[in-house]
Amino acid sequence: MNDGLKRRDFLKVVGASGAGAGVLGCSTEKVEKLMPYVTPPEEITPGVATWYSTVCGECEAGCGMWVRTLEGRVVKVEGNPNDPVSKGALCSKGHSSLQGLYNPDRFKGPMIREGGQLKPISWVEAEEVLAGHLERADNYYLITGSTGPSLTELVDSFAGDTGGKILNYNPLDHGPLREASRIVFGRDVVPWYDLGSAKCIISFGADFLDGWLSPLRDSRGFSKMSAVGEGGFKGRFVFAAPRLSLTGQNADEWLPIAPGTEALVALAMANVISGGTAEAGPYQEIVDAHSPEDVAAKAGVSAESIRRAANHLVEDGPSLVLGPGIEGQHRNSTAVNVAVAILNFVAGNVGKTVDYSSPQFGASSRSSSYESMQDAIGDMRTGEVPLVLVHAANPAYALPSTSGFKEAFGQVSFKVSFSSAMDETAAMADLILPDRHFLESWGDSSWRSGRFSIQQPAMQPVPHFDSKQVGDVLLSVAENMGVGSGNQSFYEWLRLQWQSKAATEGVSDFEHFWREGLRTGVIDTESEFESSSSEALRETDRALVFDSPEFDGEGDLHLMVYPSARFGDGSMNANRPWLQELADPVSKIAWHSWVEMHPDRAESLGVQNGDVLTLSTDYGALEVPAWIYPGIRQDVIALAMGGGHTEAGRFANGNGVNPMDLIPAEVEALSGGLVHFITKVAVTPTDDRYQLASIAGSDVQSNRPITPVVSLEEWTRGTTEHSDEGGHGPLKELQGIGGFVPIETEGLPENFPLDGSKHGEYGKEDEPRWAMAIDLDKCTGCSACVTACQSENNVPWVGESQVAMGRDMGWIRMERYYEAVDATQAGPVDIRFLPMLCQHCNNAPCEPVCPVFATYHTPDGLNAQIYNRCVGTRYCANNCPYKVRVFNWYTFTDEEPVREGLGHIPEPLNWQLNPDVTVRENGVMEKCSFCVHRIRNAQNRTALEDGVLAETDVVTACQQTCAAEAIVFGNIKDPNSKISRISKDQRSYRVLNEITNTQPAVSYLKKVTFHEVVSEGH
Amino acid sequence: MENDAVNASRGSLAHPDIKTMAEVNVDVLKPLSKPGKGWWMLLGLCVLGIALLFWSWGIQMVQGIGVTGLTSPVGWGVYITTFVFWVGIAHSGTLISAVLFLFRAPWRQSIYRVAEAMTVFAVMTAGLFPLIHVGRVWHAYWLIPYPNSRFLWPNFRSPLVWDVFAVTTYFTVSAVFFYLGTIPDLAAARDAARGFRKKFYSVICLGWRGTDREWHHLSKAYIFLAALATPLVLSVHSVVSWDFAVGIVPGWHATIFAPYFVAGAIFSGVAMVITLSVLVRKAFGLEAYLTIKHYDAMAKLCLVTSMIVLYAYLSEFFMAWYSGEEVERAAFWQRLFGGYWWATWIMLVCNGFVPIMLWFKRVRHSIAALFTISIFVNIGMWFERYVIIVTSLHHEYEPFAWGMYRPSMVEMGIMVGSFGWFGFWFLLFTRLLPPVAIAELKEVLPRPMKPVADSSFVGTGSPPGGVSNG
Repeated sequence: MNDGLKRRDFLKVVGASGAGAGVLGCSTEKVEKLMPYVTPPEEITPGVATWYSTVCGECEAGCGMWVRTLEGRVVKVEGNPNDPVSKGALCSKGHSSLQGLYNPDRFKGPMIREGGQLKPISWVEAEEVLAGHLERADNYYLITGSTGPSLTELVDSFAGDTGGKILNYNPLDHGPLREASRIVFGRDVVPWYDLGSAKCIISFGADFLDGWLSPLRDSRGFSKMSAVGEGGFKGRFVFAAPRLSLTGQNADEWLPIAPGTEALVALAMANVISGGTAEAGPYQEIVDAHSPEDVAAKAGVSAESIRRAANHLVEDGPSLVLGPGIEGQHRNSTAVNVAVAILNFVAGNVGKTVDYSSPQFGASSRSSSYESMQDAIGDMRTGEVPLVLVHAANPAYALPSTSGFKEAFGQVSFKVSFSSAMDETAAMADLILPDRHFLESWGDSSWRSGRFSIQQPAMQPVPHFDSKQVGDVLLSVAENMGVGSGNQSFYEWLRLQWQSKAATEGVSDFEHFWREGLRTGVIDTESEFESSSSEALRETDRALVFDSPEFDGEGDLHLMVYPSARFGDGSMNANRPWLQELADPVSKIAWHSWVEMHPDRAESLGVQNGDVLTLSTDYGALEVPAWIYPGIRQDVIALAMGGGHTEAGRFANGNGVNPMDLIPAEVEALSGGLVHFITKVAVTPTDDRYQLASIAGSDVQSNRPITPVVSLEEWTRGTTEHSDEGGHGPLKELQGIGGFVPIETEGLPENFPLDGSKHGEYGKEDEPRWAMAIDLDKCTGCSACVTACQSENNVPWVGESQVAMGRDMGWIRMERYYEAVDATQAGPVDIRFLPMLCQHCNNAPCEPVCPVFATYHTPDGLNAQIYNRCVGTRYCANNCPYKVRVFNWYTFTDEEPVREGLGHIPEPLNWQLNPDVTVRENGVMEKCSFCVHRIRNAQNRTALEDGVLAETDVVTACQQTCAAEAIVFGNIKDPNSKISRISKDQRSYRVLNEITNTQPAVSYLKKVTFHEVVSEGH
Repeated sequence: MENDAVNASRGSLAHPDIKTMAEVNVDVLKPLSKPGKGWWMLLGLCVLGIALLFWSWGIQMVQGIGVTGLTSPVGWGVYITTFVFWVGIAHSGTLISAVLFLFRAPWRQSIYRVAEAMTVFAVMTAGLFPLIHVGRVWHAYWLIPYPNSRFLWPNFRSPLVWDVFAVTTYFTVSAVFFYLGTIPDLAAARDAARGFRKKFYSVICLGWRGTDREWHHLSKAYIFLAALATPLVLSVHSVVSWDFAVGIVPGWHATIFAPYFVAGAIFSGVAMVITLSVLVRKAFGLEAYLTIKHYDAMAKLCLVTSMIVLYAYLSEFFMAWYSGEEVERAAFWQRLFGGYWWATWIMLVCNGFVPIMLWFKRVRHSIAALFTISIFVNIGMWFERYVIIVTSLHHEYEPFAWGMYRPSMVEMGIMVGSFGWFGFWFLLFTRLLPPVAIAELKEVLPRPMKPVADSSFVGTGSPPGGVSNG
């Protein structure tokens, strides 16, 4: 099998990155200093990984990253444990940044449009062309996505020197939230939320686990808040929105409020809390005017449920209310955020769990409102704008088509794109100056005011692509134009920025400060960081309308357009098979788009899953298959962003639809933000059907003890049965009569090896028994573990047709079962997640049936799979009750697909493959290995050191990336290990063990619910 | 008078229309002469089938096993279904030739050659399917225990390894048994043939001369092999059933499987014998040899095994309900009313209900009716295996992993092609080997009143004294 790395490339990369601390580039680049985390670069040894810390550039959250490089190429990214945002975790998007780095559709080099075609051009020429245009242009626009503080400085000064206007464009802008903060507390910021300190959370639609603000930090905080702790306390989470997002699915209670009534409900809750006192200051009158009874009818939930939720906010101690997310941004969404801020204030959360003084994203983070984009579009449309530069943004895709951006952009005489790969905006550009991927470039990022991370390149630029960092281009163009600052490279610029910052911090030894910053990946400055202080509500003269807005159009179906759980807005990251093939955490559908519809609505329309519907609004129409979802109100249908690309590359183009084609380009009056949730939609079934690539076989458990729960009350009483080992007395009796000796049904994970097993070295005293425990009370179903595993273990993607057939190859299957979801009234939500992976059973059914011993048990308790030995009878998969064995139906790892649309790994995507793990071929069974290569690595490493394998030495990829810290792994024979303590927890159970007597090594801890659960089947 | 007594003692199984032993030779060896147009057309069809089989298999080997409709959770489908189908077909051959031989059931004599040939070819066909089925056929030999430098053995706990032994043993024994029984008839064919064919028969009849000594050895060997083959009738399909019963898949994991499968195998095998023998009888005008009495006997065997099979079906449903086990109950509920309900109902109707008609003598005595019923049974038995394999796998323990399986064109091509492969060998058989056992048939004929002058007719093809001691 061709591993895709040419010898020449290999030598180039090894040679380049091995050259000591300074890494010599192959072109005109200066020597740059890279700081590996632990191993000095002189010691680069083939096969031994070097780790660099950097910061993830996938979204504005700015999570710290560790980058694993082998022989000079990046093979894995993980969260940086030192980083307070990620604390070692990483989301699917973060993991998939590797496929952005090795994206085979990246531009090969700078290009210029000549005669309608893009032609290659050299960097020197390209920069001259750009300088020439800049000199001639008297005004131009520079549209840029989110940039770190130092790049922002550079862009600002560049635009200032050359007479350009900057448009900071973020498709998922938090304008209404900022504006509300400004109105209520006089600060134009995104407040800092501390979910971990709260005891009760109400979210009015904010999808904080999955893309809103800082999902990893919030996931960790949420897990701390909502999972039962040592003291037996469990925080309550109420979700009030028309649709259950992934975050909503994790709620304890759902208030399925009518579209646009968030402000009314929030005010009604404030009304309940304030109880006639003047706690709400200048807004008291408004609060008093919204009693739950007044609001109930309009919001479609009972006054009682509003009261109950409001009471939880104060009764349970510090609480937290979060506003609507992007999907809830309607015409009055600033007022909604104001109402939420008032509610937080009245509940006494401001200064405790909500912090306005040192906000999220730091001061340098800013984004221009959609309003200014609209002005720019107006300017461009006149044809008077000679030049537009676009960096890190794809407005031609992400803006509603009715905004007229494409037409206006077309009127611009010279369009420059810094995009590193083709996208809808770059496709229109006249000059393309491909930027580097963030793993190849310098930068910095600020995730909170006063808190910084440094982004350092983890490898030499991928040699297939002649790219240049946008900072370097700007500096050299400025030099060309004679307005340069004298800096040779962006790296120098960055250091200068930091030298001056360090000076203000009073740092004496800058080199040490810099080195430490690079090594740990985190820099805290004190001067910009304010500790929180109490705030008071301010009066405002802005006209706040708290009532629900009028929705455009006929009928009673409201169209909700929400950021995809996988892609976010999807404008820059859609060309990644890992993300495309990751089953959406909510719908469990991969690759294509779907429209969510309530079962009753679907029934009345005669619609079934996969029926193609025509959706039409006043602004556009499109066809999309239906997916029936009980977690959405009857009067709402929902579509995810991120689909419908036309120019984003081979893996993205043609998948699904772009819902932005259906919504108007309307500005929210107060904040100037783009309104997302404002139109009604007409639905017409067509005769077509589309087979959606869903991984969900069934949405219900059918009375099987797959994910049993325990109620909080029961758990507090401590009376839960260890249901796993219960029952079956009669069975044993029968077996006794039958005269054969059954395998011990009491076998716990640590009881390995089983009595009577006589194979090889089993049963040595000092042999560990590896086991895992997954806390389902913590697991949020975010599916980051799925992508982390895919990245770590070279798990191939298979393509839409194959997923639709049921051939997805994920080693972890994030199962989702509905127990209680009711969109018609407020009530408990019970949707259960269960990451299903190989259970490494002590009594594994797959092992005896394999005719060639391709699967067997290792002495340390792993259910091993030997790919080389596998003949492919698939008996093991048939006999696995958990269905965690996946088969290579084709060779999905070649550079060329076996057939159109099948999984393959084209050059240079194959540079990502982990050399520690075999790449599999057609006809071979595979499954979770408990990251056996990591175990062996740790054992080998410690054998060279002290020979003692500490608990923290062995970490599996899924465990490593879990922000909720739901996964624990270790040697269960060691009575002091965390895993052995946790697996003895009274919530611990093993899936299907009592039916199949498989005696899994994976224990799950039952989810804890507030409501009593009636029957669990067993 | 003595002959009348013999005839009487052999009851209704004598062939009243056959006059002399010479006539037997003429009639039975007639098909071995120049084949007609119909035969060539059929052979052409079968060759097309083989081409389809290997072309489809080629596609699968080049592209990957993914060209099938198999998926997770249904990892076994049409291939294993067809494998079990052909193994099942094979069984009645051995039953008729070996078991009925040992039990001295004389009605077997007219049909056992066809049945044995069917056995050998059916096993040859079945044997292809495990190879077609595996993901990496080029490593399939790893299932065979052979000495190797790494001391790697197959896993003797795996029923798939037992399968390898069962099927290869079965093929070996049934092929040898088949060949051994044919030797005297081959000699008869040699005596009747000329030219190249004479040379061919001379070689493969191993120089049979029909001496007492040869007859003695042959009948000794024959009875030993019959004794050896008899347990295989039970064991081979029991082993095949353990492929399923050893698994913990609900719908597979049942102790009833071995007898259930053996009965099913005999059922399907007898039905296939009826199908094929009706065709052979018609094509070669062997009505005098394959009489209504034979069909009546086979129909009764069919009826008995059909009842056993129906009982097994019902007991499976009953046990699923009676166990109270949610997973088991759901699996059988799915079987009747789930996504594959049609397959289950085809199975129940074809195997359980259609054969009820065999209770009626009129049906048993109508060749057309029997032929039709046998086709139903063949279809039904294929679907029985499909139901057991596919419906059980598609709805197992883990609800989130449930899924459907739809066979692909490649699988159907290979399945259809396998009939071509089988038919090809069977057609060759009808032209190259005597389709009815001449020697044994003569045993039940009235002995000639005096030695026939032209010894070549009786000669090598008749056991001494006309009565075999075997």
